[in-house]
Amino acid sequence: MKVLREIGVAELEDIATGGAILGTGGGGDPYVGKLMAQQAIRAHGPVRLVDVDALADDALVVPVCMMGAPTVMTEKLPQGEELVVAFRKLEALLGRTIDAVLCGEAGGINSTTPFVVAAATGRPLVDGDGMGRAYPELQMVTFTLHGVSATPMVLCDDKGNSIVLDTVSNAWTERLARAATVEMGGSALLAFYPMDGATAKRAVVRGTLSLCARLGQALREARAAHGAPVAAVAEMLSAEVIFHGRVRDVERRTVGGFARGTAEFEGVEDWAGHRFALEFQNEFLIAYRDGAPLVTTPDLITLLDAESGAPVTADSLRYGLRLKALACASTPAWRTPEGLRLIGPRYFGYDLDYRPFRPDAA
Amino acid sequence: MSEGYILTERDLQALAIGAALLGTGGGGNPYVGMLRTRELMRKGAEVRIAPLDALPDEVFVGEVGGIGAPVVGVEKFEQGEECLRALRAVEGAAGVRCGALISGEIGGANSMEPVITAAQSGLPVLDGDGMGRAFPEVQMSTFMIYGAAPAPSAVADEKGNVVVYQSVVDMYWLEMLARGTTVQMGAAAGFAIAPMRMAFVRRTAVPGTVSQAIAIGHAILQARANRRNVIEEVCKATGARVFFTGKIVDVRRHLVGGFARGKAVIAGTEGWAGSEAEIAIQNENLVLWIDGAPAVVVPDLIMNLERDTGEPITTEMLRYGQRVAVIGLPAHGLLRTEAALKVVGPAAFGYPELAYRPIAEGVPA
Repeated sequence: MKVLREIGVAELEDIATGGAILGTGGGGDPYVGKLMAQQAIRAHGPVRLVDVDALADDALVVPVCMMGAPTVMTEKLPQGEELVVAFRKLEALLGRTIDAVLCGEAGGINSTTPFVVAAATGRPLVDGDGMGRAYPELQMVTFTLHGVSATPMVLCDDKGNSIVLDTVSNAWTERLARAATVEMGGSALLAFYPMDGATAKRAVVRGTLSLCARLGQALREARAAHGAPVAAVAEMLSAEVIFHGRVRDVERRTVGGFARGTAEFEGVEDWAGHRFALEFQNEFLIAYRDGAPLVTTPDLITLLDAESGAPVTADSLRYGLRLKALACASTPAWRTPEGLRLIGPRYFGYDLDYRPFRPDAA
Repeated sequence: MSEGYILTERDLQALAIGAALLGTGGGGNPYVGMLRTRELMRKGAEVRIAPLDALPDEVFVGEVGGIGAPVVGVEKFEQGEECLRALRAVEGAAGVRCGALISGEIGGANSMEPVITAAQSGLPVLDGDGMGRAFPEVQMSTFMIYGAAPAPSAVADEKGNVVVYQSVVDMYWLEMLARGTTVQMGAAAGFAIAPMRMAFVRRTAVPGTVSQAIAIGHAILQARANRRNVIEEVCKATGARVFFTGKIVDVRRHLVGGFARGKAVIAGTEGWAGSEAEIAIQNENLVLWIDGAPAVVVPDLIMNLERDTGEPITTEMLRYGQRVAVIGLPAHGLLRTEAALKVVGPAAFGYPELAYRPIAEGVPA
């Protein structure tokens, strides 16, 4: 199998930064996943990143993921082996060798967790994911759009419990896995969506792990050169800076396991006199400028510190922060009627139709 | 070594009545399960009740039953093959085939579930169970108390979802995880526990409880037919005695974490006029207080019978104005050991202040 490149300890720093940018305010802090992945690479050697086209059509590909509340995931650390246990158990259940590891969600903590399994098992990791960003529920992947079942799925915790799910739909998988995760203390590790190479070639959002690495690198280099980090990220992401302002108010509530809320901003410099607001449910989902909806899910909205360019999550928003908001088009798969049923504004409870941000960009 | 007997339609009806009584107010209503079994029997299915010594030691036994809140079980009917799917899932996960079925809980609806699965699979049902009554949680069975492996176990719903607990830390984790799943599935699902060896089941099952439930049912049916006092006949058939007679004056119920919890207050009549009794409910009747003093305490059995007909009243059917006789019966010895009381004694249900004292009368030596 042709290897794009090998990912070592240093590259993971960039990937984690890029993962936080694609996290669109949520997805969990990639820091813990990065440390786990770096430890696994130190112990087992670098991870071979491969293009999805390098897979044989009958290859077996399995995504791995950490599930749970982002705040819990940063505090309740996995023992370290659970992800590999989940992967191995699913492999035993399927009765054949898994040929490659896949990333479920390139935004947030799960940009780095697949490296743990890839390093520990020596399997190649596919350069891509199932979201091209972060989303809160496990059926919200492009795999669902291509008819891939999330089950059989193995879910493990840090205590030694492991569960196998076999469900009638991916929405049911989410519901049952979520309940188990809550019982397990708010976070769990999964191996799911087993699929063949041919399906992966159709379903995977391509190149997103390389994109994470390039985003992290662009940010790092712009900072080192005392350049313009936000502009560097925007360019790499083909994103537009849609606002520059100060956080004026944050309202948060926890509803149904989600961190929901609204953040309001007042413009500075070029945007002085303008207003901006974000609606979030773990991730930033809707951006309003001067009272009118400007960007909606599935298009990406991400916040960067106006000076350092460091990505800012919805949990860490607080009064006075000076931030720049970036927006870019989502992967075309999400901009279809089927995609929007899964992750459009109405699924999240907003009375808004999706209007593509920069339709030509898709 | 006896082969046991084939369950007749008359036995089935008696089993439903006797099991409802042994449900101690909970365990779900066996009536719907009885109708489903009768339908399968009328279509030609045959169910053999086999004594605990009928099968060789190495045969695997599958325990199946419903899991959830009884209140829900009455309204949300099963699709029909939940327990069979759960059984097949644990057989697959354990890599074994079961040669017999057993009820984890003879009290209530779970007396019927193994019979239904038996009618569907052709396996015999063993004459015994894991409680000799009904209890609300998975770990509260003699099998779990005396060391049955908690995994692989499985929950299956009417939609076709199956969740297998492939490895769990202990039986409490199994309860917690299976309960969480069941609540999401709509608070009622089919459940199968990891297959057990016959040798283990023979040692740890409460023996003869299927036949006991059938005998109680027949006693009630005959007493009714012959216009004798049903409550007296029930006491004669079981060794129970009447602890209180009165009128329900208050019932409180709330659904907490998939359980129907609450209490019933009974104003005394007849010999108990002027007294007041209170029964704590957690799916089942757990504690009977008379004028503030505990009279019968879990794991001993507390059952409410309709004063005139002798019909057992489940906790979800309790309502203001009903006239009831409260009868008490000692639990089987396997539930009264020190190890068992840790799991099914009053402290396990949140009454640490109550010491378990076996009810005085009718306790076998």
